[in-house]
Amino acid sequence: MTSPRRVAETEGTALRWLLPTLVLLGTIAAWELLVRLRGIPHYILPAPSLVLATLAANFGSLAQAWWFTIKITFGALLLAAAGGVLLAGVFALSRTVELALVPYAVVLQVTPIVAIAPLILIYVDSTTAALLICAWIVAFFPILSNTVIGLRAADPNLRDLFRLYRATPWQRLRWLLAPSALPYFVAGLKVSGGLALIGAVVAEFAAGAAGRETGLASRILEASFRTDMPRMYAALLLVAATGVAIYLLFNLLARLLLGRWHATERD
Amino acid sequence: MSISYRRRALLAAATVAAPAVWAQGKGTAERAVFATNWKAQAAHGGFYQALIDGTYRKMGLEVEIRPGGPQVNNRPLLPAGRIDFLMTGNLLHSFDNVKQGVPVVAVAAMFQKDPQALLAHPGQGFEDFARLKDAPVALIAKDGQFTWWQWLKVRHGFRDEALKPYNYNLGPFLANKRAIQQGYSVAEPIYVKKQGGFDPVVHLLADHGFSTYSTLIETRRDTIEKRSAYVQRFVDASIIGWYAFLYGDRRPANAAMLKENPEMSLEELEASVALIKAQGIVDSGEAIEGGIGAMSDARIRDFHNNMVRAGLYKPGEVDLARVAELRFVNRRVGVELKSKR
Amino acid sequence: MAAAVELRGVVRRFRRGVLALAGVDLAVGAGEFVALLGPSGCGKTTVLRLLAGLDSADAGTVRVGEAATAPVLSYVFQDATLMPWARVFDNVWLPLRIGGVSRAAAEEKIAPVLQAVGLAEFAQALPHELSGGMKMRASIARALVTQPDVLLLDEPFAALDEITRQRLNRDLLELWQRQRFTCVFVTHSVFEAAFLAQRLLVMSARPGRVIAELPVAAPQPRSGAWRTDARYLEICRAASAALESGLAEPAA
Repeated sequence: MTSPRRVAETEGTALRWLLPTLVLLGTIAAWELLVRLRGIPHYILPAPSLVLATLAANFGSLAQAWWFTIKITFGALLLAAAGGVLLAGVFALSRTVELALVPYAVVLQVTPIVAIAPLILIYVDSTTAALLICAWIVAFFPILSNTVIGLRAADPNLRDLFRLYRATPWQRLRWLLAPSALPYFVAGLKVSGGLALIGAVVAEFAAGAAGRETGLASRILEASFRTDMPRMYAALLLVAATGVAIYLLFNLLARLLLGRWHATERD
Repeated sequence: MSISYRRRALLAAATVAAPAVWAQGKGTAERAVFATNWKAQAAHGGFYQALIDGTYRKMGLEVEIRPGGPQVNNRPLLPAGRIDFLMTGNLLHSFDNVKQGVPVVAVAAMFQKDPQALLAHPGQGFEDFARLKDAPVALIAKDGQFTWWQWLKVRHGFRDEALKPYNYNLGPFLANKRAIQQGYSVAEPIYVKKQGGFDPVVHLLADHGFSTYSTLIETRRDTIEKRSAYVQRFVDASIIGWYAFLYGDRRPANAAMLKENPEMSLEELEASVALIKAQGIVDSGEAIEGGIGAMSDARIRDFHNNMVRAGLYKPGEVDLARVAELRFVNRRVGVELKSKR
Repeated sequence: MAAAVELRGVVRRFRRGVLALAGVDLAVGAGEFVALLGPSGCGKTTVLRLLAGLDSADAGTVRVGEAATAPVLSYVFQDATLMPWARVFDNVWLPLRIGGVSRAAAEEKIAPVLQAVGLAEFAQALPHELSGGMKMRASIARALVTQPDVLLLDEPFAALDEITRQRLNRDLLELWQRQRFTCVFVTHSVFEAAFLAQRLLVMSARPGRVIAELPVAAPQPRSGAWRTDARYLEICRAASAALESGLAEPAA
């Protein structure tokens, strides 16, 4: 006999997954119907059935590009997380350093990557490195700013307690500052996850493909130049799917890390 | 303007007056939006000439020229119905359209030779075309990467390892003596000389088997079927514009292009025109007999076979009959405007 | 070993020149339970922080225990101040952990103290699963796990309801009976002070000074009956009067 609470939980989970799925399927069905009934040619708006067929037919080559884009995205994200946390630590330790460097961080954030990407390509030899740098630039700032706030958000009374017990700075970092900052860091990570993907795709768009390894943006461009709309949509579909996957992944991560105790993840 | 030119211009106008008179008799000029593939440059000169000196207007056409640019891709606008005519750079685009079932077709080819070229630094051994594939860095833009670069790889042994994106900035090429880059043979060498102070080595792809037409006018199939006179007038006026631009007083066109593209300079425009003439880009081959814009099935087929051999298309993938409509050109329109200088 | 604490002529000034303490003199004997009573903003918390070493005086002396021995101090905040990401056990373990004691070794010190505060079954609970009173018990457990010589409490029960408060008052006294640490208990409740302490120290409004000292002659342990005793009420009345007069004092 399941308790009412368990039933409610199960219903809640089912709803959370069922509702968006239904809406998605509904949209796809409407799109398919629209194309068929209005006889819209495939080079204006391809039907979902055609897009999926194209995806299946070209999956080999699209999958390679997909993997490259994923590598760039997560590579950049990793570097952004590492760099963001490190620099946040430095900022938290020294207000002077923070004041000195904050203008650069802000400039990095607001300058459009579309404009920077071709420049970076001029100065950096390897195109892969250039793409990583571009994606990194977009993903870096949210992690940095959130983590700085998080490190400063440690309860002042807890801080006093650590002082009272004469904790070393290392102990304070491990047992007070890091856990205090974790929710903020995770929030920054969620934002940066999507941004890293955008950065990787936009950078490749602005830069153009090069070398043997190319990503989804390159495929989209190629399809666009060769007037192959179904293939363009297929590649776009993969980009969208990656975005959704990243969103779900980081939501799961947040739940795992914070679910036990933090107000944002406790249900 | 010389008097003889003016008389010839009047003559030419009279020759094609019938449809124009018909249009004017109707009272309203017909709109035509023409999208090009780059910012205004000498390679577009004939169209701007026809716009400014009234040739389009005399044909009853209200033309708007919409320039392209580095981040602009005007190509999807034609099948989508947003523009009436499109300038394309080579026949590969036409082949792709036919392969994808997109109902657009080429109606004129302003350039008998594609000015697409590879540039290199002098004194690096790149005077020999065969050595270009060994360059460590080849700066190729997105458009080329997916079209003629593929042909260079198969036909001439170029490798993707050397490929780097070209963002229409000469910096990387100027800085690296061993680099090669793409360019229009009638444009980039002028800029290289200006910014880099040297004359680059120029290899026209057309001289090495890339035998396509260039600067083609494309339009939708249904425009041809429903408004063929309209298409004819646009083609004819454009052709006349080119003759006037090359052989007549092109100051109106120059002024228009300088206004449209402030980064261009008059000296660059004139230098480019000189190269266009010297290299026989526009008025050579079939154009001498048939007039500017001439096209032939044989040449299209020949180029297509080259591309099939290079692996860009599978045999039978492209129905050649649907690539171009030849009836709008090869009529010697405007030939008499050519004064022997 | 309980330690005596003392403030002599302590002056403390904050930014913008605000004078928080204007020459405070107080002494607490080893093992004594003293209540520090005063209105809001009088500097009671500042006194506690000075004793804890979290703050330093601008003038005067602060003495905690003998110079030779380093007395063990614990502090209980007004807010339970638990680490929300750690279970009760780990929260209580913190002072020992900082001192280098492993989890296994700490086990034998933590269990009895959790038992003493009545949280033995909640060792694995997370703070957000506890009520306000239980969180405060956990905070006290943490304070006691190091077997302190001096226990400083800053209005620890102020945020709790009356019933819980009285229960915790009783439990605190019980713990003190057993361990006999020196206890300085800050409160603004006259009734709480009179119930718990052996001596009441009344502070004036800011800038703070000790203006009255009221001994409480009731023997320990004290039960609920003490709250209705006439002497208890008399002490409360006297303390209230002292507070009133302290409020009327002009700022120095």
